[in-house]
Amino acid sequence: MTGKSRILGIVRDIAAVVVTGLFIFPIFWWALTSIKPISAIFDKDRVNFFDFTPTFINYGVTLFGQSRSQIAIDEGLGMGVAGADAYDSRQSILESIIISLGATTITMAVSVFAAYAISRMAFRGRGHYLNWVLGQRFMPPIAILVPLVTIYKTAGLRDTDNLYMGYLGLMMIYALMNLPIAVLLMKSFLDDVPKDVDEAAMIDGATRWQTFRKVVLPMVKGGVAASAVLVFIFSWTEFLLSLFLTTDIRTVPVKIQTFVTSTGNEWGFIAALGTAAIIPSFIFILLVQKHLVRGLTLGSLKE
Amino acid sequence: MSSNTASLLPRETASPESKRGWLQSWLSSEHPFPWLFPAAALMVVFGIYPLLYALTLSLYKKNAATRKMVFDIDHNWTKILFDDRVWNAIFNTFIYTGVALVFQLVLGMLIALLLDSDRRGYGVLRALMTLPLVIPPAVTAMMFLLMLNGSFGVLSRGMIAMGLLPVGFSVLGDASTAMAGVLLAEIWQWTPFMVLIMLAGLRSLPKEPFEAAAIDGANAFQAFFKLTLPMMSKVIAIAVLIRGIDLFRAFDYVKVMTDSGPGTATETLTSYAGRIYFGNADFPYASTVALLTLIIVIVLSSAFMKIFKVKL
Repeated sequence: MTGKSRILGIVRDIAAVVVTGLFIFPIFWWALTSIKPISAIFDKDRVNFFDFTPTFINYGVTLFGQSRSQIAIDEGLGMGVAGADAYDSRQSILESIIISLGATTITMAVSVFAAYAISRMAFRGRGHYLNWVLGQRFMPPIAILVPLVTIYKTAGLRDTDNLYMGYLGLMMIYALMNLPIAVLLMKSFLDDVPKDVDEAAMIDGATRWQTFRKVVLPMVKGGVAASAVLVFIFSWTEFLLSLFLTTDIRTVPVKIQTFVTSTGNEWGFIAALGTAAIIPSFIFILLVQKHLVRGLTLGSLKE
Repeated sequence: MSSNTASLLPRETASPESKRGWLQSWLSSEHPFPWLFPAAALMVVFGIYPLLYALTLSLYKKNAATRKMVFDIDHNWTKILFDDRVWNAIFNTFIYTGVALVFQLVLGMLIALLLDSDRRGYGVLRALMTLPLVIPPAVTAMMFLLMLNGSFGVLSRGMIAMGLLPVGFSVLGDASTAMAGVLLAEIWQWTPFMVLIMLAGLRSLPKEPFEAAAIDGANAFQAFFKLTLPMMSKVIAIAVLIRGIDLFRAFDYVKVMTDSGPGTATETLTSYAGRIYFGNADFPYASTVALLTLIIVIVLSSAFMKIFKVKL
């Protein structure tokens, strides 16, 4: 390697690290804020990077249900005695998990079947069906939200009337929102499996169902898993639908908004819950790196 | 009669179908209906029905005093034309979508070119780059709300130290800069989306044309504009389409960071509809504004797909 290209290579390495660093910085700052004591968060004199004693109070209160006022008294702090358990987010995390898992199950259950038919069977209206599925992706959720609240009230799917039906209602609408990505992604994975596989199985006497269940489905296991993970992430991060449709059920993104109060924002708690909400997504996204592009483009681009 | 029972009996006893469970026999037929039905039912019940409901709702007028709904076919649709806030929201939505799209596209392409290397460590950088994508947008909005705080936000303090902002200036609290603040969160979170897609596009390009161009003495810029960009056009079009649709219905950042304010400085179509809904509970009008968003999205995206010949 010549000297010039070597220097260029080093410059490029530095640039790549700096740029990536810029995109990681807010996450780092967020995590750092979550272990800062109040005095360091609200430091008006300087930007406080590492000059503080780490504290886990924020996690204790939001994730482990410790009493905030008790901690304040123990530490001899005068601040923040009010709102004893409003920051305990365990319930919200549980609700978010239940709803995301339920929504993922429903989405995948209906999508895999539809995707199989679209990928394998020739029928009239196939293009129309695909367009309708895709159309759901184009529709801004707000367009159906207003009537949906009324419909949910009438149908008893509001969480204020019946908590379990409230869960179901939110899961169903999440399933609808995730339907396009799941169907199109599964179609793209199924299209990768040659049709000869089905034909061979059916010549051997297998029914459609057996072909699907015993032959094709095992071949797209990875695709099902990748789609499910993406649907889970999208359900986990959803905000608008949950904000409109539920009152008692507060998913994590909605719960975190309640920490913004008229007397000031509880940044320590917000950062702690926010960091905790990010971690599951990070783990999941690293699992599906390989299929991420395909997923984000609804199966139209492959890596 | 007797022939009827005769033909029925052997089938009932001999047929294995009835023992295999309804799901299996349901799905054993060649007919696609049972396969397509669950997803179709979900779409009809939770998508199309509410949409038709919204359409009907938009044809009613809500009397603010009596709270009665009166059928008035053009009340809301005329009201939209003369509602300054709708036009302001349309303007803001286009600014939001346009600015974010340009930044995300250009930055996405540049960063993709930068990270497209087989040298050691670049795989890790590419993986790190995807992390912002999976943060709940409401949480991202909170992150930037903290970092842009006028008195102790790290970004605000940084800009103040560089002399870009006056001391104690609140980016999100000022009507002239609030949109830029919201856009910062939007651009930060979704530029990685473009990076990922561009990287996938770059990696799938054939090597030969570039080798040939290098032999002909083309420099890096010529190769990029004459070869890379044209060959990536399909990828770019898909990315713009998907991102554009999402940007046009942006709600989370605006709702959390500024709640459409100060005043109506960051009010987008979606957030305006939400404000009508939560504010004065005029459901018919909220529905109409929401439907207007849908109509614009459909018109723009179908025009885009026609012009650029993209299919998802």
